[in-house]
Amino acid sequence: MSLANPTALFWLALGIPVVIFYILKIRLRRMPVSTVIFWRQIFDEKKPRSLWQRLRHLVSLLVQLAFLALLVAALTEPFFASEARSARRVILIVDNSASMNATDVESTRLAKAKEDAHRIIQGLRARDEMAIIAAGTQPRVVCGLTVHPKSLRVALDGIGPTDGPTQLAAALALARRLAAETGDADKESRILVVTDACTDDAAKLSTEDRVQFVTVGARAGNLAITRFQVRRSTVDPIGYETLVEITNLSDEPTGEFRLSITLNGQSIEVIPLALAHNQTWSKVIENTTRDGGVLTAELVVKVDKEDRPYPDALATDNKAIAVLPKRNDVPVHMHSPVGNLFLQKVLEANPLTQLTTSKAMPATFQTGGVKVFHREAPATLPPGSVLVVDPANDCNLWKVGDKLQNPIVTQQDKDSPLMAHVRLDNVLMPEARKVTFTPAAGKPQILAAASTGDPLFAVIDRPEGKVVVLSVNLDLGDLPFRTAFPILAMNVLGQFTSSHGEMRESLVAGSTADVTLPAGDFLVRSPDGTTRKLPGGGKATIGPFDQCGVWTVAAEGTGTAVEEFAVNVMNKAESDLRPPEGVVAVAVETGFGGSFLGRPFWWYLIGLAGILAVAEWYLYQRRWIS
Amino acid sequence: MALFDSDFLKKLEYLSLISRRVFRGSLMAQRRTMQLGSGIEFADHREYTPGDDFRYLDWNLYARHDELLLKRFQEEEDLHVYFLLDCSRSMAFGDPAKFDFARQVTAALAYIALADLDRISVTAFADDIIADFPLTRGKGRILSLLKFLESLPPIGQDTNLARVATGFIHRDQRRGLAIVVSDLYDPSGFDRGLDLLRHRRYETRVVQVHDKYEREPPDMLGDVEMWDVESGLARKVTVTEKNLRQYRQLFDEFQDSVEGYCNRHSLGCTQTSTELSFDQLILRMMRQTGVVR
Repeated sequence: MSLANPTALFWLALGIPVVIFYILKIRLRRMPVSTVIFWRQIFDEKKPRSLWQRLRHLVSLLVQLAFLALLVAALTEPFFASEARSARRVILIVDNSASMNATDVESTRLAKAKEDAHRIIQGLRARDEMAIIAAGTQPRVVCGLTVHPKSLRVALDGIGPTDGPTQLAAALALARRLAAETGDADKESRILVVTDACTDDAAKLSTEDRVQFVTVGARAGNLAITRFQVRRSTVDPIGYETLVEITNLSDEPTGEFRLSITLNGQSIEVIPLALAHNQTWSKVIENTTRDGGVLTAELVVKVDKEDRPYPDALATDNKAIAVLPKRNDVPVHMHSPVGNLFLQKVLEANPLTQLTTSKAMPATFQTGGVKVFHREAPATLPPGSVLVVDPANDCNLWKVGDKLQNPIVTQQDKDSPLMAHVRLDNVLMPEARKVTFTPAAGKPQILAAASTGDPLFAVIDRPEGKVVVLSVNLDLGDLPFRTAFPILAMNVLGQFTSSHGEMRESLVAGSTADVTLPAGDFLVRSPDGTTRKLPGGGKATIGPFDQCGVWTVAAEGTGTAVEEFAVNVMNKAESDLRPPEGVVAVAVETGFGGSFLGRPFWWYLIGLAGILAVAEWYLYQRRWIS
Repeated sequence: MALFDSDFLKKLEYLSLISRRVFRGSLMAQRRTMQLGSGIEFADHREYTPGDDFRYLDWNLYARHDELLLKRFQEEEDLHVYFLLDCSRSMAFGDPAKFDFARQVTAALAYIALADLDRISVTAFADDIIADFPLTRGKGRILSLLKFLESLPPIGQDTNLARVATGFIHRDQRRGLAIVVSDLYDPSGFDRGLDLLRHRRYETRVVQVHDKYEREPPDMLGDVEMWDVESGLARKVTVTEKNLRQYRQLFDEFQDSVEGYCNRHSLGCTQTSTELSFDQLILRMMRQTGVVR
């Protein structure tokens, strides 16, 4: 027999005070009595037990010392060599991905998996070690290697459901690292994976060395929204397009159901559908909104004239959301000494524009908004966003030269958002003037240039605001008649107001997102209301998002939302509740572990010490109560 | 605080006054013997016989009836009161000590007797007689008595009432009232000693004193070394609740046995705890006689 913790033997020193107290105790309290006539009558009746009366204090001392010895022996954690030889190291991986929320088994697959995991813990032998890893969304060690079953059970109970993807391969790699880090090569090492195996590589992983799969759940059909994205309309400033994709991940047809799309709870689209097995349906739906809100797509069935959630094994992927930001009005002031109907109408056509015009140069300009100068521009351009069209005079950023000889657009920066959906190849720009930028303009970005290299369309990024210059005579060229012109104007306005109303794509559960935050403290609030702090003042990465719903980044003090992220399952692998063929699974082993015989040796010592404590308690009571 | 202070003496005087009013002829003092003799109170006549003292001839009657008759008078004699005071170490037990209480009671009763012109003596005893205050008479002797009582220490070994009574009754003294003031914790039994007094025709009265902690021992549970203050012997015992119950029962039985003995033999008996003051006890004894309510 060996001792795992021999230093605990020092606790035997406690025997010294026990003996001292015993010696002190046998120096009994002296109680004077006036006569022993009566006491003699009482105690002389007990004479046959006098031997016990004399010895019982000594017996009590021996019991106390034995009690201490047993406790100390238990603290030293004695074990037999055979126990050490047969000890195992088990890494338990519990899959808590989105598919484990399926309800095709009692409660959920995750609940069943935890039930199986509890049985595995119960089956551990005295010196077996176990660690637990959660494999959903992002693999993490929830309990390091320990021989303490209660810690394992507590850690296991703490594993919650996630809507993220299965990360079995990463979890297995983590498990192997964990097993290797702790050394002791003599120990048999095993990795037990409790999962529904609904991942493409499950069959391959289940056959890996020292890996055993314990599977939960059966083959179940599921209907899921596998894509749900929104984007701004290219032609309508307040319009947006929604891409919806629905997949029937089942071996059976779905029957009739509906796709219901609502914006802030108001129904905006209902599409009746019926999909064949494994069929995917998708559609782009156009709509408009200025106020924005949460766009929700949900799969429903009509029961008794009421919409009910589509009844399948996994509810999470029957719903998807997107966040539509509010579009704010933009004040635009257009100054033109001669006026230009095309430019004015293009600006007015934007529903977000609040246009004002002037023919005489204003003395001052309103802060904020967009300033548009046609022909005449002030010598020093005002701060803020400025669009200058067909400049006729010099200003602080450029000098206007002669007319260009052959102003055909031959060079374009197609990657610039200002040139999105705009094609100006070989478009003639008559009477376009040569613009020479001053050093104050820095390095302007040339978006379109003539064959001579002279800029026709450029953007200057000043600290006090962007300046876009278009050196084209709108009255003589055919640019105003081209579809590119209103798009170009909208791109410019969109660029100037880029901080308002841009859409973020809906995110897949388990992904991360980057956000640039101003200085200050922020809170990230998950859909279930839990929050965590996020320092501002730069770029930050949030995630991985393990719950579906709207995640909010808000200022800590005011609670004002800075960013909102819509997170959906949108993962065919997770929504497909049919495990692949070829997964090798084993049954849960229980063994002696949880039984009385499977306890560690120190447990029996503690039990024996408990019996001695009861015996001493009895002896003690006998001294007081006959 | 002295055992017999001025307050004590005031109480003695008060008790003496009450006793004159109510005790007369009941308990002690001024008792009239049935002997006829040289008293002053006329009893009856008898015929003259030669040799009688002429001084007692009733000459008036002779003149009228010509018959020589002799006048007879009732003779008065004083009462002898013997106090037997227990001085064993068991009497030193308690708070206040039983011994102090017993001495106060003895002093009070003795004062009443002296005030009524009776003779008193005090015999201190334990396993044997250890000191004597000789027979004396008159109130003036009270201070000597108090001094004697104060000087008594509780020193005796095991109480042996039989040996004490044997020594007492073999003294050359008149019969009288014998008041035993003791806790009666005699290992060989209190009754033999009292029997001897009774058989020698002493009018015996018992004042049995006990402490409240003797009836209800405090803090005795558990392992204790029981120390007998009388014998000085110690004994290691474990006192359980059951033992305490048995003790209480035995103590009560002992008290009952003392009372039963006295009742059987028509002895006066007063059982008291030291929680009572000595003057309250004296008044209680008066009430027991039925003259005070």
